[in-house]
Amino acid sequence: MKLKSILLSAAACVAMLTSGLAFASGGGMVFKHADTDVTSQAQLLRGLTVFTDTCMGCHSAKYITYKGLMDYPELGISRAMADEFRGDNALSSGLHTELAPEDAVESYGKVPPDLSLVVPGRRGGVDYIYSLLTGYAHDESGRVDDGNYNTYFPGNRTAMPDPLGWLDHDAEDTAELEQQAHDVSAFLEFIADPHQNTRRDLGVYVMGFLLLLTLVLFLLKREVWKDVH
Amino acid sequence: MKTKLFAWVDRRTGAEAIIKSQLTEYPAPKNLNWMWVFGAIAMFVLILQIVTGIFLAMYYKPSAELTAGGFSVAFDSVERIMRDVNFGWLLRYVHAVGASMFFLVVYIHMGRGMYYGSYKEPRELIWIMGVVILLIMQGAAFFGYLLPWGQMSFWGATVITNLFGAVPVLGDLIGQLLMGGFSVGDPTLNRFFSLHYLFPLLLGAIGGGHMHALHPVHSNNPDGIDLDQNDPKNVVMFHPYVTMKDAFAVSAFLMLYMYIVFFNPQMGGYFIEVDNYLPADPLQTPAHIAPVWYLTPWYTILRVFEVKLVGIAFMGASLAILFVYPFLDRSPVRSARYRPVYQGMVIMFFIDVIVLGYCGHTTTTEATKIAGTIATFYYFAFFLALPFLPKFEKTKALPEGV
Repeated sequence: MKLKSILLSAAACVAMLTSGLAFASGGGMVFKHADTDVTSQAQLLRGLTVFTDTCMGCHSAKYITYKGLMDYPELGISRAMADEFRGDNALSSGLHTELAPEDAVESYGKVPPDLSLVVPGRRGGVDYIYSLLTGYAHDESGRVDDGNYNTYFPGNRTAMPDPLGWLDHDAEDTAELEQQAHDVSAFLEFIADPHQNTRRDLGVYVMGFLLLLTLVLFLLKREVWKDVH
Repeated sequence: MKTKLFAWVDRRTGAEAIIKSQLTEYPAPKNLNWMWVFGAIAMFVLILQIVTGIFLAMYYKPSAELTAGGFSVAFDSVERIMRDVNFGWLLRYVHAVGASMFFLVVYIHMGRGMYYGSYKEPRELIWIMGVVILLIMQGAAFFGYLLPWGQMSFWGATVITNLFGAVPVLGDLIGQLLMGGFSVGDPTLNRFFSLHYLFPLLLGAIGGGHMHALHPVHSNNPDGIDLDQNDPKNVVMFHPYVTMKDAFAVSAFLMLYMYIVFFNPQMGGYFIEVDNYLPADPLQTPAHIAPVWYLTPWYTILRVFEVKLVGIAFMGASLAILFVYPFLDRSPVRSARYRPVYQGMVIMFFIDVIVLGYCGHTTTTEATKIAGTIATFYYFAFFLALPFLPKFEKTKALPEGV
């Protein structure tokens, strides 16, 4: 008993934490897996295009500035491209939609949420976003109109009308639409925490350093204690 | 051996005597096991929290004033730290994850004290100061969680300040003093920021007292027996023996801590909740309001009672009973190693607190309600049974020395 039992309790605590992870992040619903790679410049740039062409019709991402698009090495956008994107907006301006909030309320019943933090801000994260974009279906019970019925939206009735045109799309377009959904999911995952690649890269070195430090301190401890019995 | 500079300082401060009495000639039992490293780790995390907090406060702005997209000045400043401040993301993740790690370490530290009887005579005061530290930590964590002004910040603060409002007679006054108004708003954010800066300083001071109270009575040991502190057979000097052991432990602990910071800082919503990525919206209540994991055991005790006031009373009692724990336990034997009944009870207690924590975190179902009620009952039964334990517990024979 003694020490072991306490360690067991601690282990049980950790096990509870980790076993709960899937449940906490998914909220009980099973989502489709989003095939995203936030280190892939090609995917992020395709996602950016989907974002500016489609999402930005209604949504903003105010924490991402045009200058930010240039500064993040993952995107690697040139000044000329940034100028093309921003039009009359300042370089330091966030990605704001042209849709006025009052017009949005009139058309959709609510102001579309800012998408800067949509991935960590939804249960299921990036898988939820991908599932939502490819989750439009016909309501079997007929209560919800086409375009507002989504398999993955909590309560199934969403105010966002099928942005990619998933409902009743031609079979040969499936791959293309899925790709768009993957790409824009990857872009949204990236912009939620734009230093995440730096963080993970740096983390490898930090762990390596700590491993060495711990080893040295372990040997030091053993040396200091060797005459204690 | 002494340099001229050190001799100069020593004559004016008595530095050498302090170093001797605190480190190089302060004895520690040599049979301390690895459970004794968590106090040093807690001190390390507190210092790290204060240092990262000072730098975060250079950029953070405590204002609930609305900005574009339904966000606020406070939320914007946190995102600015995450995106534009050099290594701001590192400071914030170390600080946010640090809150959870601090509680994890302190809970293990408390569990060690409970298991080996470190709270018992003559160390009651160390335990009592530790409980004060726990309460201040909970306060600091609660105040700090409001600062990003996210949905869970706002609604968590609303739920807890309303709790104080349910206290008879003084409730309204306490609630209004806490919130700086009639609901959680900009004044609340400002005073919580001020208090969030104050409380860790209190922690530093009371933590100093916690250690000072340890000195005259010396560390307990896994056998819970009285040791002759002058006998080299029993003890080693704090420095270099314990300091090197603690340094290794801190480094090993940092591997876990930094792994979370760099590879999984949200910990799947346990360390930074999903709803806190949404800006605070007083008009929209989140579907499920739960405190962060380290406060959930007490949240369960609060929720299992139908009447709000009764729940508050029991939650208060569950913390207050910790103060009298050293006096409820009348057994002359300290360590659970030699107390078979207490050993079972205290291990059950650790599991019980984990069950309470789980029930407070998930959405309430019939099952969690029953489990929470039983766990709440056991929480109090554990403490209240202690005075009667020596009447029938057959303790084992204690060893003579280490």
